[in-house]
Amino acid sequence: MTFSRGECLIAEPVARLIEEFSKLPGIGPKTASRLTFYLLRAEEEQARALAQALLDLRERVTLCTRCYNITVGELCPICANPARDQTRICVVEEPLDVLAIERTGVYRGLYHVLHGHLAPLEGIYRENLKIDELLARVRAEPVDEVILATNPNTEGEATAFLLLRDLAPLGVRVTRISRGLPTGGDLEWADPDTLGAALEGRREL
Amino acid sequence: MYVSQLSLRDFRNYQRLDLHLDPGITLLYGPNAAGKTSLLEALYFLATTRSPRVSADRDLVRWDAVGEAGVTPFARVAAEVQRRAGRVRLEVIVQRRADEAGQLSAASTKIVRIDRRVVRAIDLVGQLRVVLFTPADLTLADGPPSERRRYLDITLSQLDPHYVRTLAHYQKLVQQRNSLLRAWRERRRPPRAVDEELAYWDQELAAAGGYLLAERLRAVRDLNGIVGPLFQAISGGDAPLTIAYLPGFDLEAAHDSGTLATRLGEALRAARPEELARGQTLLGPHRDDLAFTVGSVNLGRYGSRGQQRSVTLTLKLGEARLMRQRSGEAPVLLLDDVLSELDAMRRAHLLEAIRQPEQQTLLSATDLSDFNPAFLAAITRLRVEDGRVYPG
Repeated sequence: MTFSRGECLIAEPVARLIEEFSKLPGIGPKTASRLTFYLLRAEEEQARALAQALLDLRERVTLCTRCYNITVGELCPICANPARDQTRICVVEEPLDVLAIERTGVYRGLYHVLHGHLAPLEGIYRENLKIDELLARVRAEPVDEVILATNPNTEGEATAFLLLRDLAPLGVRVTRISRGLPTGGDLEWADPDTLGAALEGRREL
Repeated sequence: MYVSQLSLRDFRNYQRLDLHLDPGITLLYGPNAAGKTSLLEALYFLATTRSPRVSADRDLVRWDAVGEAGVTPFARVAAEVQRRAGRVRLEVIVQRRADEAGQLSAASTKIVRIDRRVVRAIDLVGQLRVVLFTPADLTLADGPPSERRRYLDITLSQLDPHYVRTLAHYQKLVQQRNSLLRAWRERRRPPRAVDEELAYWDQELAAAGGYLLAERLRAVRDLNGIVGPLFQAISGGDAPLTIAYLPGFDLEAAHDSGTLATRLGEALRAARPEELARGQTLLGPHRDDLAFTVGSVNLGRYGSRGQQRSVTLTLKLGEARLMRQRSGEAPVLLLDDVLSELDAMRRAHLLEAIRQPEQQTLLSATDLSDFNPAFLAAITRLRVEDGRVYPG
């Protein structure tokens, strides 16, 4: 379903917005038309606010110069907050992982966002990740502990391995988040590898 | 274990099917392309989450399936499996995906449920254990090595949840490592610090590979205890059959997973120049092979057509017996139109082997003349025609 080609039955700006919407992930032609006609009939203010939000996204959002999380301005709110524990850095693959860990409410330290994981298959190598930037921080900042919170899959483990090797000579304490059972879960339903990891990572009570 | 109930919706040429199955022998007969093989395929799919016939899951969805309002077409396979530990309900849905323009694309998604709970596809493997025997298996002895590796992998994956997970992890490692080696070979990446960059992939590949090797060697050892005499009986007096595992490097008689991992790691380092030159991982379980010998004759190369058929039949029955030995429960045997491929003696052996207590077998045939009346009287018969199943 394309509105812009052939005989144009719909006004050009309408067709153009429908086409732009349908380029977005998860939005098909039907949803794209619905959104477009909604905006056409909505208060002008709403369309302006959306347009401004889109422009701001591209123009104002940058990477924090310290932890490489997405932010507005020089430092992200976490790096700019002196009340955060300056001696711990939690290393994650993506900005969304920061949000996930923040939601736990149990971590008060700083972050470092790698922007990906090691995956030669996808053409992602060490130099494509913010690893040298992390090493520079560990050298310059009063860091006691680096927590590796990359994903517990093949690529995440490969990235953690690389980080451990690079961090070890710096004399900093390196830890890895543990893998285990979900809260509210049943042992009976856990897959054997998760259960095995949970057993290996057991602790004294 | 046995399947007591099979339900299909828009699977292959079945629009809807609700089929009760008996714990013993069931013969599916009817003309070609009626849907006999699809029934066996459905059970194999539930056991392994893969189809033995197609590479793309979307082909499992009936061609003119329409789905429901606002939903793309999907196929559904569900079964009730009676096991010693109790009853379990398995279900897989393959749903075709639409592209941005609303047209059906080549992609599909798979939803897997055990007792109505959504799980990962890999969690399904081993819930229902099957041994499938089709005419395509008759080239097991002289076909490509990948088929013989697959024979071991499918057996072990159904028996051991750790094996199937390690195998998936290992295959991912090989892919990542291969693209690194290829990038160097094609000069898309300067070959600096090669050892350092390979360190993680080598270490993990060796650890996972060592485990897979140990399990495969153990399976071959156990199988040799089973297939030797079985082959003599089936082939009528030849020497016993021996399976040999052929690794791509010298194992130095190691058989535990740790030592094998060390050996694989060393072998990988020794093979580095050649791996860099060829741009791929040349050693490890993904390159190994099996050899079948009777006396001193390699059957893959020198066996007669009849002998090779005996080998396949022996391996398939051996696989079933190994599963029974290790798990304490017989797997479901799925025999797809193989009787017409076997001579009278081998056929008699096969029919004898499936007439055991607690052995569910589904076999398909185009007509009933391959069977004697006494056999037919003792089993359940189902007539399959044009995507429908009728009693008798």
